[in-house]
Amino acid sequence: MSNADSQPVRGVIVEEEIQLTLVELSQACRAPEAHVIAWVYEGVLEPVGEAPQDWRFTGSALRRAKLALWLSRDLEINPPGVALALDLLDDIAALQARLERFGAR
Amino acid sequence: MKFKDYYETFGLPRGATQDEIKRAYRKLARKYHPDVSKAADAEARFKELGEAYAVLKDPEKRAAYDAMGSQWKAGQDFQPPPGWDEGFEFSGRGADYGMDQSDFFEALFGRQSGSGRQAGMPARGRDHHARVMIDLEDAYRGAQRAISLRVPELDAQGHVVLRERRLDVGIPRGIRAGQHLRLAGQGEPSLGEGPAGDLYLEIGFNAHPRFRADGRDVYLDLPLAPWEAALGCSLTLPTPDGSLQLTVPAGSAAGRQLRLKGKGIPGDPPGDLYAVLGIALPPAVSASEQAAYRAMAKAFDFNARPSMRGETS
Repeated sequence: MSNADSQPVRGVIVEEEIQLTLVELSQACRAPEAHVIAWVYEGVLEPVGEAPQDWRFTGSALRRAKLALWLSRDLEINPPGVALALDLLDDIAALQARLERFGAR
Repeated sequence: MKFKDYYETFGLPRGATQDEIKRAYRKLARKYHPDVSKAADAEARFKELGEAYAVLKDPEKRAAYDAMGSQWKAGQDFQPPPGWDEGFEFSGRGADYGMDQSDFFEALFGRQSGSGRQAGMPARGRDHHARVMIDLEDAYRGAQRAISLRVPELDAQGHVVLRERRLDVGIPRGIRAGQHLRLAGQGEPSLGEGPAGDLYLEIGFNAHPRFRADGRDVYLDLPLAPWEAALGCSLTLPTPDGSLQLTVPAGSAAGRQLRLKGKGIPGDPPGDLYAVLGIALPPAVSASEQAAYRAMAKAFDFNARPSMRGETS
């Protein structure tokens, strides 16, 4: 497979333009579907839809799922712990953004 | 190819126990995970940690790595000795987060495959992840970036080889830090008949000397002279997309934010640009400068510390 170097490849912005199914999300973050399902039931990820096959994840679930995979695989944190860690990381990110807004670095 | 000392990565001696390796990995990985750490080299460090851990946590891989001997030094030119891996079988998974592994790792342990794949599924190529740093200005105007990826391919003998692949990617106007671009079919090719995986690019902004982005809003510090803040003024404000004329109202206090609606990162809706006002105090060096301050002191009935009235003089 080769790409014409003159023609740039266009992508879609995951967070704005697409929704992911359970299969797509687990492929994209390389986590087994069972993990993703466990995270949903723990509130780590919040798809719309009732049954797992109907779930649709927003693009921002991708970053959370990647982080959740690392926390659970390498640090052996269970789903409730993953949920807690992600909530705390969100809080820290919000505080850091607030600090930076006022120029403190 | 340079030799990598995986023990040195963790600061451990070669005789370290599996528990010590696990502890060292976890401690350092918590520190350098790119989503957790603010260190500039966090991503590179984390990648190295993951690779070193993939080898040392797996008893088979570790034994094979150890068997090459301890005479190698990190950074030394290296080729795997012929037959070095005889008698070892690698079944464990690598540091598989869809990120590139080093030449050194690939040469020794090859491409880790099969993770997360279920029997009976078509052998679709795996999705690949990479991070791309752009300038804030690129988000305002859109940009084109050449990125290079290493993709596994089958050679004529049916061996998996890594090939460097260059890809020109269009960065759309309005993209924000932390967002991902999905490039369909640009991930790893299938090693069988299936379709190629997708490529996900996480976008980050290079640090800017003047502007700070927060989501779609952009902030900059705008220092004013005391008289500009007190009396108001008109000035030329730089923005990531050219400069514009800004009117600072009279009586502007330090810390006040002037919002320029829609002048943040473009989009629907676009972000806003905030000028965070500060007061720069002119130094009083010459006699006439000092006289000016004394005249001010005389002209104003001003207490800078009203809340401490009575406690200070």
